[in-house]
Amino acid sequence: MAKPIFDIPNLDEALKTPAVKKGASAHLKIHPAQPPLMEKLGFPPALVEGWQKKAVEKLGELKEKYKSLKLFMEVCVKCGSCADKCHYYLGTSDPNNMPVGRQELMRKVYRKNFTVGGALFGKLANAEEMDEETLKEWSTYFYQCSQCRRCSVFCPFGIDTAEITMAAREIMDSIGAGHKYSVEIIGKVHDVGNNLGIPKPALQSTLDFLEEDVKEATGADVKFPLDQEGADVLFITPSADFFSSPHVDSLVGYAKVFHAAGIGFTFSSHASEFANFGMFVGNYDQMKKISERIVQAARDLKVKRIIVGECGHAWRVAYSFWETLNGPFDFLDVKKPMHVCEFTHDLIKKGALTFDKTANDEFTVTYHDSCNVARASRMGDAPGGQFEIPREILRAVCNKYVEMPDAVNRQKTFCCGGGGGLLTDELMELRVKGAAAKTSALKTVMQEKGVNTMAMICAICKAQFSKVLPYYEIPMETVAGIHQLVSNAIRLGEK
Amino acid sequence: MGAIDVAGKSIEVDEDGYLLNLGDWSKDAAEVLAKGEGIPLTEAHWEVVNFLRDYYDEYKIAPMIRILTKEIGKKLGKEKGNTKYLYELYPGGPAKQACKIAGLPKPTGCV
Amino acid sequence: MSALTLFYVGTSYLCAAVFFGGLSYRLAGYAATPSPLRIPLTPQATTVFGVIKKNAVSMAVFRALFIGERWTWVGGYSLHVIFVFVFLRHLRLFINPVPEFLVDLQPLALLFAALLPLPVLFLISRRMYVDRYRYISSGADYFALVLLLVIGLSGLALKFVSHSDLVGVKEFLLGLVLLSPVEMPSHPAFMLHFSLVLLLGFYFPFSKLVHAGGVFLSPTTTQVEDNREQIHANPRGGN
Repeated sequence: MAKPIFDIPNLDEALKTPAVKKGASAHLKIHPAQPPLMEKLGFPPALVEGWQKKAVEKLGELKEKYKSLKLFMEVCVKCGSCADKCHYYLGTSDPNNMPVGRQELMRKVYRKNFTVGGALFGKLANAEEMDEETLKEWSTYFYQCSQCRRCSVFCPFGIDTAEITMAAREIMDSIGAGHKYSVEIIGKVHDVGNNLGIPKPALQSTLDFLEEDVKEATGADVKFPLDQEGADVLFITPSADFFSSPHVDSLVGYAKVFHAAGIGFTFSSHASEFANFGMFVGNYDQMKKISERIVQAARDLKVKRIIVGECGHAWRVAYSFWETLNGPFDFLDVKKPMHVCEFTHDLIKKGALTFDKTANDEFTVTYHDSCNVARASRMGDAPGGQFEIPREILRAVCNKYVEMPDAVNRQKTFCCGGGGGLLTDELMELRVKGAAAKTSALKTVMQEKGVNTMAMICAICKAQFSKVLPYYEIPMETVAGIHQLVSNAIRLGEK
Repeated sequence: MGAIDVAGKSIEVDEDGYLLNLGDWSKDAAEVLAKGEGIPLTEAHWEVVNFLRDYYDEYKIAPMIRILTKEIGKKLGKEKGNTKYLYELYPGGPAKQACKIAGLPKPTGCV
Repeated sequence: MSALTLFYVGTSYLCAAVFFGGLSYRLAGYAATPSPLRIPLTPQATTVFGVIKKNAVSMAVFRALFIGERWTWVGGYSLHVIFVFVFLRHLRLFINPVPEFLVDLQPLALLFAALLPLPVLFLISRRMYVDRYRYISSGADYFALVLLLVIGLSGLALKFVSHSDLVGVKEFLLGLVLLSPVEMPSHPAFMLHFSLVLLLGFYFPFSKLVHAGGVFLSPTTTQVEDNREQIHANPRGGN
């Protein structure tokens, strides 16, 4: 871990509402996307002539396209219920990181251009033109929102800042001011098929390596097939699973579950990415184009259904948006996407899997609800399945399972601090500070209940916590995927 | 965008200090990049750098961490074939910091 | 009819038109704007009936505010409950004959309506003295509260300080409702009270006060969560 050049929040105070400190995180800036990266996605390469007017036009266009944006711009009463519900406000004290403060950055432009009061009274009505100063604020604070939706839980009108952040980023992209991290990644998906830019030969060698590795460790011939036509299942997972630790341990877990269940599956080199950063940049067309690769792969490989791996925001896209974006999925036997946790959970219920729970006895496990799974999707047939199914899997594979405090659990979970396209090094200070809220809950159960493992089902959460927990003197090995723990406990070849 | 000075020659790097042109890499460049990270390059560090470069030459991407750890375990002994050891060598992370010193592009995505 | 009455009658009808027309226009605008992607805040009920049931409760008790900011809830919720009693207190001036239950309700309605300044003052001071709320509060936020306060105080003055000619007021208001206006009682406190209410009526549809209707149209709270079960075509076809 590199030496921090900023103050690390005190975890004992992390959930307390801080006093407002104006401009406290104004210095945390993103890297702008370079012209070639922007052009690849059809965005202007750099700030366009007359961008002030174009930004307002785009805002006008989006408010007619999205009910959420229009209504959320107009009905906020500024009650402040959301103010201290954002992990970035708690971590930075910057009032522009209060959800309502962040929304105001757009609302003041909205008022000026689309409301009678704003047009008549200007600054008196808190209405301001889009100008250099405003753009600076937008490009700072709309990249200090992880689109986690926690604020909307506490809003009497369900105002979801994520919708506003997405619109703001879409507007900035449309005038030529993009964020390198997301724009570069989306370009790689279009070019190579995944966020990391892993070409097919590398993917093949990685999967071959895993086959060998698992054989060595277990003696079982667990397969990691790539581009296998006619397989039952197309398995789509975040490409971090092919690269990072502990992500890969869950990848091994998925393959073992398929092996144990005797169900054939395949990865795809064309669609080697589940993540969909089109959502983070609020761009419908990009989101559609990215997930279109998955549809194409499913057709080409003639599979019967699609099952997806541990990724939070992408599960939202799959569960809530795929049908609208890329449907209908008539060519599949099972027309709806299934989460790997649903798949494993079903098999457990049917008694199709055998576990040796003692294999996880060295771990006292808690579960981190990832925001997009918790507040923007579901698993199973009943509301709340997104909370219970992962927990039931954990209880089935671990002897020692512990809940985190209710105030930060399930629907009220805090973001890891790296979601929404902020998992980038230049925002490390923000990520560390934004992680304090959830980390304080983790620390509580570590101290009080001896927890040493936090399981989760999101590639971003895994990467973020692995990176930032050491700042709080918590080992990175605390982070685990659910299927990593499944992988430890599952018995292969015995039923 | 910036540049680093390697033996009197200026080499372009991106915002995070990764080489813009992979061809600009040399052992001297690695030393300069490592110094910027506050890492003195030992034999063990070079094992990692060399493996990363060989793998990249073949596959145009950095290897999965698990492949790297296994390889290091083979070369330097089994007790060193783990992530923990790699983080001792490269506290900023084997993927990001070691790639930087090896002159590879920065891994992107949820990593 | 005096010029003054003529002015007030004209303004009253204009105000009604702006209020109802403006509010309908705003709400119809929300209703007509598409929501191409499914964005209910989960967990959410999976049927229309379920969503109605859930929202009936959560909206009736301001649940999100209750779990979010307890003191603001105390102020905001009591204010809205008082609005109901203020409404019940004034209803008798607009209908004839007055139904018996409404007559019976009057002492209670008066008791609650008279409390209106308390939550308003609390909500104003909250904005002035808590740093987070001070930061987000603008002139418009204070304006709405101060307007309510002055309306409330002038109304209370009519009851407790300077009695108006209640029969005349009722005749005037009924005349407005029945579209056969009569002379307005020229009682200064009444005229002030009535003028401020008209101002509120004009202001309402152009302000954040449309939350009163918007709350029922918010996609995150009112969309049924059948995201995966049902096929949801994008109403715009494309993006």
